[in-house]
Amino acid sequence: MIKKLFRRRGMSCDAVMEVLQSYLDGETDAETARLVAAHLHTCTDCDQETATFRRIKLSLASTPSPVDPAIISSLQHFSARLTRGELG
Amino acid sequence: MVLLVSPSATDPQALFEEHVVPQLEVLYRTARSITRNQVDAEDLVQETLLRAFGAIDRFDGRYPKAWLLTIMRNANINRARKKVPDLLDDPELTFERSTRFAETDTPEQVVVEPVFDATVHSAFNRLPESFKQVVELVDLQGLAYQESADLLDIPVGTVMSRLHRARKRIRTEIAEYGLDSERTPT
Repeated sequence: MIKKLFRRRGMSCDAVMEVLQSYLDGETDAETARLVAAHLHTCTDCDQETATFRRIKLSLASTPSPVDPAIISSLQHFSARLTRGELG
Repeated sequence: MVLLVSPSATDPQALFEEHVVPQLEVLYRTARSITRNQVDAEDLVQETLLRAFGAIDRFDGRYPKAWLLTIMRNANINRARKKVPDLLDDPELTFERSTRFAETDTPEQVVVEPVFDATVHSAFNRLPESFKQVVELVDLQGLAYQESADLLDIPVGTVMSRLHRARKRIRTEIAEYGLDSERTPT
């Protein structure tokens, strides 16, 4: 019902902000994604807000905290002992 | 008829080395996101490895990451049951609901990448642990909402709520520092 309305009139800014995070995470259905994209194409404010959130997401993803190689090495050692039957 | 079965197809050690060992770093990162500390993360990965090795003969070889995360989820549920008091300490219960969008004017200034990143990470570090968990699982590990919910044994709606509120908190700080994007190209 609501989607039918959106298809006819397009999404409002409020409706876009409601689903924006899911849209950025690729968690909306295709129809919603299409409606959001169409709105962003015509609304400067929402497009700018989307750009800011996209940058935040990229920033968070770009610098994963380092993993101490010694931990991975220790887990590899654990795995080796496990497969050799040394851990009971 | 000749059956072309790989010699490793039924050898538990070979299967484990082929499908599980390459995922160690992913497993550790995911465990660290869940447990929030190194010692518990190592314990959780080791428990996951023990369970995975015990079940390796029933693994069909497809989607090892998803299979291992399911095992980790179950191991974590077991672990959490032993630490009930921790479950009661949910920061979301006391987290203020003031995640308003900042409506400050956007200054026309060039966004300096390092400042933006530093602000994001600084804001991230001040988030409640339960919020950091979902941000790390979704944004760093690239897990889907449902995968994250399964791992943490919480409803997918809670994952969405924490994740979205976390990002809006960070976004508010970005605005306070005047670092909003000006139609940033993607």
